[in-house]
Amino acid sequence: MPLGRDGIAGLIAAALGLVLFVQTFAFPQMPLVPVGPGFYPRIVLAAMVLAGAGLALQDWRARRGAGAEAEPLRLSLPGRLVLAGFAIVAAYCALLPVLGYRLATLLFVAIFQAALEWPRQARDWVWLAGVALATTVVTYLMFESYLLVLLPRGSLTGW
Amino acid sequence: MIDLLANGLVQIVQWKYLLPLLLGTVAGVIGGALPGVTITLTIIVVLPFTFGLDPLQGLAAMTGVYVGGSAGGLVTACLLGIPGTPSAIATTFEGFPMARGGQPGRAIWLGVWASFFGGLIGGAFLILVTGPLAKIALAFGPWEYFSLFILAMAMVAGLAEASLLKGVIATAIGLLITVIGTDPIMAVPRFNFGSEFIGAGFPFLPVLIGIFAFAQIMTDIEKMSAPKMAGAAGAAPSLRVAHLKVIGEILSRPFLLLWSSLVGIVIGVLPAIGGSAASVLAYDQAKKFSRRPEKFGSGVPEGIIASESSNNANVGGSLVTIMAFGIPGDAVTAVMLGAMTIHGITSGPLFMVKHSELAYGIYAAYILAHVLMVAVVWVCALFLLRIVNVRLAVLAPVVMTLCVIGAYALNNTMQGVYVLLLFGVIGYVLVKAGFPLAPLILGLILGDQIEINLIRAIMTDDNPWLFVTRPISGGLLLAAATSVGLAVWQHLRHQKKVAAAESEPNF
Repeated sequence: MPLGRDGIAGLIAAALGLVLFVQTFAFPQMPLVPVGPGFYPRIVLAAMVLAGAGLALQDWRARRGAGAEAEPLRLSLPGRLVLAGFAIVAAYCALLPVLGYRLATLLFVAIFQAALEWPRQARDWVWLAGVALATTVVTYLMFESYLLVLLPRGSLTGW
Repeated sequence: MIDLLANGLVQIVQWKYLLPLLLGTVAGVIGGALPGVTITLTIIVVLPFTFGLDPLQGLAAMTGVYVGGSAGGLVTACLLGIPGTPSAIATTFEGFPMARGGQPGRAIWLGVWASFFGGLIGGAFLILVTGPLAKIALAFGPWEYFSLFILAMAMVAGLAEASLLKGVIATAIGLLITVIGTDPIMAVPRFNFGSEFIGAGFPFLPVLIGIFAFAQIMTDIEKMSAPKMAGAAGAAPSLRVAHLKVIGEILSRPFLLLWSSLVGIVIGVLPAIGGSAASVLAYDQAKKFSRRPEKFGSGVPEGIIASESSNNANVGGSLVTIMAFGIPGDAVTAVMLGAMTIHGITSGPLFMVKHSELAYGIYAAYILAHVLMVAVVWVCALFLLRIVNVRLAVLAPVVMTLCVIGAYALNNTMQGVYVLLLFGVIGYVLVKAGFPLAPLILGLILGDQIEINLIRAIMTDDNPWLFVTRPISGGLLLAAATSVGLAVWQHLRHQKKVAAAESEPNF
């Protein structure tokens, strides 16, 4: 009987907890302290392993009870927009120290807008550019000049 | 106490503090009105702006967001039938039919004035109760603190809608994040796998921003292709109303107002439950106590009064918990707690003693924020209807930029930004897998304190039975066990009902 979403999530939690639980025994023991640095993590990880195993078991039992009616697991991949969103944000984080805050933010806001809603008319393009420019300028002035936060400078551009 | 409160009020009406409070209230009302933008997201967006301010300025701005956001959701709830925040869901049940029935002004102002009075009742509770509760908490030893934190986590994990086991796993993940780095007693490295990136552990705020903001924005993006609800098309409605008459309508129902506010306060004091539960519970109570429950759903004022007074009183309750015990009542106060830490302030019982001026400044900001909230809605109600039309394609990049600045500005390093991204992905995956985020956040906030108090208790006396035999500690642990037991019982009862319903013949 294949496991469902909860069952797989439970097994992953239990496996992760177990691996880390074993790791805690490698922590050095302090002779003067009654409990070592692994004492508390072991409690947390034991709870995680038990709850994860419990969740997997619960899901298996529920699916066994449902018998043939149990729906097969469908891995619902996030939509194209969500994947694009994550990719764009990741690229922004990577490019911030390379291009600097101003250029990276200008590109990020423009590209993210376009990815979420592709501009169809010239007016939409002007709006997109305006929002990107306004966000960059306003946040830069506000944080650098008023709140004295030194925003990232680009190693490639120097600004 | 009166002197300190008067001093707080005198301080907060200075432009230096009034302006951040006003701007925070405006941001809160707008964020609350925007469907899909919660108060938590609004406060995360406002957070980086508070880094350069003094503690009271920053906390006043956040208090403004909290109060404004709790009322902002009702405007779109009444006029468009779309609750701006989850805490305005119950307001939609009566506010939208009333507005559609030709009384949009009455619907909105019943909500605004009920929020105002509910908020003030919550404020009175906050001022009167926080000090005495903090004094009780001062007598706590590490055993009592440990048991109190366990109770908070047991309640939150037990209240997880998905399942108790998922609540426990989410709590464990939150606690595990705090374990990564170095141990608090001997500074021994733990689970950093030789990496400098996580050598000192994960900073709290980028984790919080990543988990909440990413999960929220990405979930909103996922819904972009879903069919949109029809808005209130046509000419802008008139919101003119006789305010004294509306106020009279509310005050002529003193029991309803007081009871709903009390429900909000109690829910607020309980960790991580939040305004949506408070407003729905108060609405349900109003319906049960009503002489005409069958009319509910057609636009009765009692429903609006109950929902709105409860969700604003809830703010007062949440602030009590954070100020007296250092435990956040919900995600919004969790961010406030993080902001306090950045300013070098530790919340908890000593906060009332060490920073009494700041505490009374927060009280004053809380009271004044309600007056400002009324003024902001008065001026902006129709303007808000235009703002809610801002497309997500514009909103999402701007919000994400502010989140990145918030994570970066903590230490002016990219580490916070990478942590934000990492936990953004983790938060989104957990939401998609059906795990509740509230227990994770509470585990993340309380993790360090739980470990420190546990180790401190054992180092003081290695008899583990002290956790049970000390009266307050034992009582708190008993309450925690009862909470978990109740959650299991409710879950089993629900499963039996579902099984019984499925076994009935379907003709």
